[in-house]
Amino acid sequence: MDRSNTVRATLVDASDHRGGWTPTLDARLSALESPVGEALGPVLESVADEPDRITIVPDAHYPFHPSSGMVTDPAVVGAVLEQLSWRTDATLAVAGASTEYMPFERTAAYLGYPDLCERTGAELVDLAPESGDGDTTRHVFPVDDRSVAVSVPERLREDTVLVVPSLRPTDEGHVAGGMRTLGGFADAVAEPAATAVAATRAIEPACCLLDATTVYGDEPYAANALFAGPTPLVDALGASLFDTGFDDRAIELAPDATETATGVEPDSGSAPQIRVDPVGRAATDPTVDFEAQLDTLRTRLQGGTLPSSDDTHPAVSIAYRLYAAVGGDAVPPQLELRGGS
Amino acid sequence: MLSSTIGRLTGSDDLALGVLGVGNIGMVHLKSAHSMPGVEVRAVADALPENRARAERAGVPQTYDDYTTLLEREELDAAVIALPPFLHADAVERAAVAGVDVFVEKPLARSTEEADRMLDTAREAGIAVGVDHTLRYQPDMIGVKSEFEDGTVGHVPYASITRLNDGPLGRPPVENAPPSWPLDPDAAGGGSLLELGIHCFDVLEWLFGELEVQDASTDSTLDIPVEDAATVLLRAPETETSITLHCGSYQWEQLPEVNTRLRLEGITGTISNQDHLPQNFYAGAAKSALTNVLRRFTDDEPDVFGPTFYLQAHYEALSAFCEAIREGERPPIDGEDGRRSLELAETAAELAAEKNTAELDPVEVTR
Repeated sequence: MDRSNTVRATLVDASDHRGGWTPTLDARLSALESPVGEALGPVLESVADEPDRITIVPDAHYPFHPSSGMVTDPAVVGAVLEQLSWRTDATLAVAGASTEYMPFERTAAYLGYPDLCERTGAELVDLAPESGDGDTTRHVFPVDDRSVAVSVPERLREDTVLVVPSLRPTDEGHVAGGMRTLGGFADAVAEPAATAVAATRAIEPACCLLDATTVYGDEPYAANALFAGPTPLVDALGASLFDTGFDDRAIELAPDATETATGVEPDSGSAPQIRVDPVGRAATDPTVDFEAQLDTLRTRLQGGTLPSSDDTHPAVSIAYRLYAAVGGDAVPPQLELRGGS
Repeated sequence: MLSSTIGRLTGSDDLALGVLGVGNIGMVHLKSAHSMPGVEVRAVADALPENRARAERAGVPQTYDDYTTLLEREELDAAVIALPPFLHADAVERAAVAGVDVFVEKPLARSTEEADRMLDTAREAGIAVGVDHTLRYQPDMIGVKSEFEDGTVGHVPYASITRLNDGPLGRPPVENAPPSWPLDPDAAGGGSLLELGIHCFDVLEWLFGELEVQDASTDSTLDIPVEDAATVLLRAPETETSITLHCGSYQWEQLPEVNTRLRLEGITGTISNQDHLPQNFYAGAAKSALTNVLRRFTDDEPDVFGPTFYLQAHYEALSAFCEAIREGERPPIDGEDGRRSLELAETAAELAAEKNTAELDPVEVTR
């Protein structure tokens, strides 16, 4: 496990690409190969020593197009798999979790994971609590002065896990992050934030690689950045970029998790101490002003939220229903009260 | 049935209508029919309990969980078929047995072959087939046609149409499980070409006359089994117009905006559908709403879905069909029109597939 308060950051060279998105998977893989290796750095060497199985856990919650920033770019996962396949004979896997809306098998297929996995012989597994694919074990952790019980897939406890989240907000306006990505695999009765923190403690990911190649704030932005480090720390960095700061419950609950992960006690209050260490192109390319790029990323993400629901704004719906009642018009189905009259 | 009087089955002055499938678009048809003078919605059928409950809340007196039973038990003059495409042929066959005219949601069928079978069945049974191609009824398209017919830009050597929408996978936040049939080529018959392109083919032939498909390409932005983007090069011999058509089910749709662009580039200027849409949707909607409220006090009929032009177009399309049935006339957009749009989409899909196959073929190296 990476035990430091440092997040490694690097940039992907996109200078020879037109537009903010490269549609060809091979071209993205090629561009990501070095930066992924640089961001993971020593972690890559240490996990490669693991003899058994290494499981990558991307944000693949729904088949949104990766150019939207709403899911991890499968090419980032592909680059991690390639880096590992060169260094280790361990079995490689990519894990996801089916949701109430979408089976992981379908999401993975639409995002192109089967082909990607085939290249390195990695297996693709659905470890959702309801999937019945493998055993789960129950663990209890103190979170915020209370005990939180989570059941997580035994497999994620046994394997060396690299979590690869996207940099985007959740429906509730928190940073999606590594902890919440892992929380998606947990069965618990606690609130989602506490579940995410407890699941992270149970799984003990070796590292979190934050895919900020394309991020989503109020709109997608091709940031071409990667951040790697202990999961709570990387999540705290992500939250700070959105300026949601420590209103994010999972981050608020995470300082002690950060301490557990890094061995470094937060200096004061609830704010984990984060040092961002530019590596690779971010550190060596004289044409790159990394601090300026980080500021731009912060500006683009600040206060970012997901689009409003497909449903029209509630005020418009209410006004339309009032108009329809007075004007004798029909109410469009999209503006109807759900489940009511 | 192309009879000259309605109520041949029902004995009523109102046109007795059934709605088969009350998902999103079926619900629009149901609400349209409910508001239509001289039309009585007798029953709806839908496999999903939540859809049936919604229809009951909308005032439908009888609901069924399958359309077969509805057609067997209810005495109808016409039925709206708003089921997934793989059920259209079966529903038309059963309507034919019951002698009920049908208004079929687009695409009429999954292939021209299937459409031919459906139309043969309908012909033999003597039932009328209408198809829901709504673009012709949108005020912006009517405005474009009017300008074009008036010759306001002279000869039009080039036109372009783009229709973009979100596909079944939608956009965040995720709130519903997406239906699987739109991404299943066997169930849907295809992707974006049949979902969106088919509207464009219909409106283009309405404007320019018979079209020839010259070239096409299709693409999928994700690893899905149907195309979610298509670009087609067309030629209209009668008006000597070259046309490009692009349809895509990949864009996050932001209601109430509907992303359809039609431009006719003429000798003296451009005709654009954007010039026939309200500059500000909400201001336009508010004006329509106010007009409708005033009409109520003057006892005039309100425009149904007044503030939403694209839903109003669905109302107009169904209303025109019902009027034709009532008068014993051929539906204004009939099965042959639906088949023709399907034929153009099919030709485009075949051309694109040939090209894709050619790209995949290994290059033969000769020494």
